[in-house]
Amino acid sequence: MKSIRKILSLLIAICMVLSLAACGGNKPTSQGNDTTTPGTNDTTTPDKPAIDTSKRVDLVFYVMGDPPKDEQAVEDALNKILLERVNATVDFQFSTWTDWAQKYSLELTAGTADLIYVANWNNYGTFANSGAFLPLDDLLPVYAPKLLEVVDEGLYNQCRVNGVLYAVPATWPEYTVSGVKYREDLREKYNLPVPNSIENFEKYLLGIKEHEPNQGLLTVTAAESSGLITAFDAFMIVNFKYPWVNINGLPYGLAANYDTPSEVYDYWYSEDFIEDCKLMKKWADLGFWSKSALSDPNNDTAFINGLCVAEIAGQNPNKHIAAVNDFEKNHPEWKSAYIAYGETNGVIYPAAATQNATAITAQCKNPERALMVLELLLADEEINRLVQCGIEGVHYEITPDGYYKNLSEDFMYENLNTWNLRNNDFKLPQLSDAILNDMFKRYEELGNKTKWPNINVYGNFTEDYSAYAVERGAVSDVMRQYLAPIQAGFVDDVEAAVADFLRRAEDAGLKACRDGFIEQYKAYCEEYGYK
Amino acid sequence: MKKDTFRMHLSRCAAILGKEHYGKNLTVWLTMFFSIISILLSLPYSKWISVINTDALYKKLKLKASVIETLDTKYSLFNILTFVKDTKAGSIGLYSMLLLFVMIATLYFLCLYIFRVFVKKKNTNGNLNLYLVGKSASFFGMLLTLGLSGYISFSASKLGVKCFALSPMAYIVGILSFISYVLIKIVEVEERKKYKEHGFFQEFKKNWVLFLMLIPTFIYFMINAYLPMLGVYFAFTSFNFRDGLWASPYIGFKNFEHLFRADLYRLTKNTILYNLVFILVGNVAQVAFAIFISQLVSRWFKRTTQTLIFMPYFVSYVILKVLVYNLFEYKSGVINTMLVASGLERIDFYNTPYYWPFLITIFYLWKNLGYGMVVYLAAITGISDEYFEAAKIDGANIFQQIRYITLPLIKPTFIILLLYALGSIMKGQFELFYQLIGNNGVLYNATDIFDTYVYRITTTQPLNIGIGTAAGLYQAVFGFVLIMVTNAIVKKSNPNYALF
Amino acid sequence: MLRREPASTLVFRLISGFFALTGAIVCVFPFIVIISGSFTDNMTILHKGYSILPRDFSLEAYKTIFKAPQDILQAYLMTTYYTVVGTAIGLFTTTLCAYVISRNEFKYRNNVSFLIYFTSIFGGGIIPWYLMYASVLNLKGSTLAIWFPALTSPFLIILMRTFIKDAVPDAITESAKIDGAGHVTIFFKIVLPVLGPGLATVGLFLALGYWNDWYRSSMFSTSSKTWELQFYLYNLLNAQTAIKQMAQNSGLSHITELPTESVKMAMAVVATGPVLLFYPFVQRYFVSGITIGAVKG
Repeated sequence: MKSIRKILSLLIAICMVLSLAACGGNKPTSQGNDTTTPGTNDTTTPDKPAIDTSKRVDLVFYVMGDPPKDEQAVEDALNKILLERVNATVDFQFSTWTDWAQKYSLELTAGTADLIYVANWNNYGTFANSGAFLPLDDLLPVYAPKLLEVVDEGLYNQCRVNGVLYAVPATWPEYTVSGVKYREDLREKYNLPVPNSIENFEKYLLGIKEHEPNQGLLTVTAAESSGLITAFDAFMIVNFKYPWVNINGLPYGLAANYDTPSEVYDYWYSEDFIEDCKLMKKWADLGFWSKSALSDPNNDTAFINGLCVAEIAGQNPNKHIAAVNDFEKNHPEWKSAYIAYGETNGVIYPAAATQNATAITAQCKNPERALMVLELLLADEEINRLVQCGIEGVHYEITPDGYYKNLSEDFMYENLNTWNLRNNDFKLPQLSDAILNDMFKRYEELGNKTKWPNINVYGNFTEDYSAYAVERGAVSDVMRQYLAPIQAGFVDDVEAAVADFLRRAEDAGLKACRDGFIEQYKAYCEEYGYK
Repeated sequence: MKKDTFRMHLSRCAAILGKEHYGKNLTVWLTMFFSIISILLSLPYSKWISVINTDALYKKLKLKASVIETLDTKYSLFNILTFVKDTKAGSIGLYSMLLLFVMIATLYFLCLYIFRVFVKKKNTNGNLNLYLVGKSASFFGMLLTLGLSGYISFSASKLGVKCFALSPMAYIVGILSFISYVLIKIVEVEERKKYKEHGFFQEFKKNWVLFLMLIPTFIYFMINAYLPMLGVYFAFTSFNFRDGLWASPYIGFKNFEHLFRADLYRLTKNTILYNLVFILVGNVAQVAFAIFISQLVSRWFKRTTQTLIFMPYFVSYVILKVLVYNLFEYKSGVINTMLVASGLERIDFYNTPYYWPFLITIFYLWKNLGYGMVVYLAAITGISDEYFEAAKIDGANIFQQIRYITLPLIKPTFIILLLYALGSIMKGQFELFYQLIGNNGVLYNATDIFDTYVYRITTTQPLNIGIGTAAGLYQAVFGFVLIMVTNAIVKKSNPNYALF
Repeated sequence: MLRREPASTLVFRLISGFFALTGAIVCVFPFIVIISGSFTDNMTILHKGYSILPRDFSLEAYKTIFKAPQDILQAYLMTTYYTVVGTAIGLFTTTLCAYVISRNEFKYRNNVSFLIYFTSIFGGGIIPWYLMYASVLNLKGSTLAIWFPALTSPFLIILMRTFIKDAVPDAITESAKIDGAGHVTIFFKIVLPVLGPGLATVGLFLALGYWNDWYRSSMFSTSSKTWELQFYLYNLLNAQTAIKQMAQNSGLSHITELPTESVKMAMAVVATGPVLLFYPFVQRYFVSGITIGAVKG
């Protein structure tokens, strides 16, 4: 009965998507008297109805992180322009990094913000599903037609949740591929292999251990991530081995290969898993990480301070660049290098569009004006530059060869944390972007060779676990308690420990989670045609 | 003129009713009879609320035929929430729940009243306690009827269709309650005169300044505690943004399953044991050190030690975590380095649960010793020197002085603090555990407390309002029962030591 | 005073002195490590760990913190403001309420006590509490939202009630009433003057609560201008964890510079220092050994 209902609703959702794509959203708009037929991709740009902007509107834009020192100055400059253009102001409010996840959902509940930063890592899908954001399909063509031109339709489609568009993504294509960051200078010095596979990585670490016994090797800890995939940082190294559709595999110990996304198979019960856990035990016994690693107040600065010689979890090209810059400044003799897991296992795809996007909250009282402002912020070069870089001449200048140069520490690059307003056409390159662009180019080439060229197959999937939330919570707890020590190699008998863990996970309701997940995920694959 | 006659009638009534053994008993028996009727009328089998305009309502709520089949058309207050649940009419959920609470309170007081009529307690103020119960019962009865009539129009406005009708039984209960209330009020007057007790209005007249003094506190607790308390309702809903906080679907006790799915016994046991140790050992250590410091002669020494003992209070747990890790780390931690240097085996602290209950207790004491000590120091300082002087003259040595003067005089403070802490026995020192243990699952069996578990569960899902509230409710009910029992016991032995 | 004390007293004093000293050393030890850490070069801490004396003296951490002193001064200023205003109003509110429920002549003292205590057990949780201030009262961004929620607490009221009960027995207020004094007169002329230790204790707790708080800034501040000192510092620490949590999926390139170990230690010193300077002034109420009010007996 339940599954029938689910399939039904899925069918309806698919129909909706199809109808949207086919006739460009012929649904009656919420504006009632508005008779224009908005098109998502066709050439007829709708006549902009005379929008009444006589009343001044003060909007709040909720973004992540900490405010820059010169927030006020930039806001004042921005508001001067915005008042002229659309008679509105924007006040950026910052989540700060203290309790940000909780505060983010409180902000949505209280509804004090109008525009809000959304991202997949910030549960965009779940929030959108739950009705936290305003559907934009009908509003965009009327109030922000320019956004339809600036942002690719493909990107919009990635932001759709159950066929409804809730967010306007940034247009800067980006690869946030996970990988291993390591010390190239040490590798060269001792003539060790490039750590591009599990075996080579082991050789690399052993080589360093042999030559510099006092050097720390890895600073890893129990994974903070609540994605229910892995429980210990170091375990991410297995990504060298598996061409999985998603980094670390799928939740609940499932996995699927990138080339066959819909063929979900089991990982935790497989021989591979035991083998991988044994590898972790071997590494732990070799002393690659501290025996107290599970409680390590993991020092994110360990790598740049030379406390470890590689980082394998939570890395991306940008972090590599940060390390490069830091080494240049503080330790010119050190060199950082980066190798993406995908370069070995052949699965590389760009970041999902929902990585950085903007939504309008459901409680927003002036969605029209909010959209108009968003259009200006994202699609107007002058305004976009102002928001992203600050005031020219005060905070930054453009070098003769077209690079961004910072002039004041009070407002650094993208200091308003509006990563969601990155516009590929206007984004000023930084000097360090050269390395980054090289990397991206390489990834793009690799990505083109995959079965789904440069498509983040898993990226759009949103799991709706409300039906098995209880089991999911319990499984996550079992993972923390029993899987983490296994993956950290702290158990004596790996096979027995894995069996014990699996038994407890089953008791906690692993099967319910898996069934629920697979059903939704398969439907998703079917919907998007990933076979 | 008319008013006067009314008054005369009233006083005559009062005279008859108020007469010992006759009117009074008559009233009591009559109101008790009313109570029995009220109870009979409000039991679950009598359906007070009937659903009308069903077609329009179901259409409005967009119900599927399969759901409609399962729906009843008549409900009592006890199962009206199932209607809310089945129809997903969350917007009337909170009101339904509040009505249920009023209903239960009414039944409780009605039963208590009947019980008290038969089992008379010997009291210094005659029947006044009995009347108070009776008044409460009839008050809630009236409130119930009023609330129900409000409910009809509230649901009509929220659901957009006039959907409920109230059965006359609800009104009967209201009327009976009203009559009982008036009757008891009348007989109470005489009784009050006899025992020189007074009601709220006299008290207000007499002590209005005191009431005035309570206003700032009243405002504070209304805003900070009582109004937000309505949020307890979230424990029974599955929140989503589309329906909003108050209209999200009512799901009964589903959120509590998160707790029962866990090893609730282990969590409860750990939490309570840790807290008991913290409370007892903590208070004893604080008292001991307060006495030590009060005994010091040199003022400079006194002040310095006291300040120094206070200092750990300022070390935030985030910093403490870093220091503790540096102390206990396996390879390069301070302790293990020292052990190795003196030729001993390393200790694997972070993979051995056994050590942590002790370590955590020590760090708790270390951090809170100075803070808690202040209360006792102030209490000791408040003791008049004359007592000690007199004792010295009588030849009491220092231990006797402490035993017979200091300890008895700080006993009330000790007991009050102890009692106070008991209410929060299911709430843990979250920061302490979370920062020191973090995600180290190996240690969970010995160190996992309720709050850390709930924290872990809630971080796995962004829409966790319900789970968090449910957990809070469990802790609160636990603490509440405990504190009511303990307070009653303490009150019996010495009312001065009771919290309330 | 000069009378010879019996030997047992002297022995006990010696024991007291020993324990007090040991306690003080144990308690101050980590603080010394923190202070020493704040003066140590960051690389030394990372590679050699913490020590009692700075191994490699460096003022770098303090230079980093005070590089832009106006921020931290602003945070100091705001915290002082919250502490002074909150403690003053809070102490007044608490004492008034405690006085009322400590009087036996007040018929509803137990009911009120219960209602107050009840709030320490039952609560609606953070969300409705937050919505009350943010949505209903619309106080988000206001300084009121930062000091009001900590104005008093059941614990402090009940503590104060105990102090008042001890210092001013009902007999005294009764006789004052016979002399024609009203409650206001009794409160200001009789109760307050003898309440030294109680006021000092509760005032200290209130002030410490305000000084150490970061949570309300985190919840209600919309501009860094209204940040509390502890939040300013704590937030720096949090950036680190947060970045780790999300960095995996996002291309966040440049975020605030992460605090080094020595900066963390220096922050702890900076946040605590002023309180330690202030504490001795309150302390005399707990250690003077003389009863301030001679009402008893």
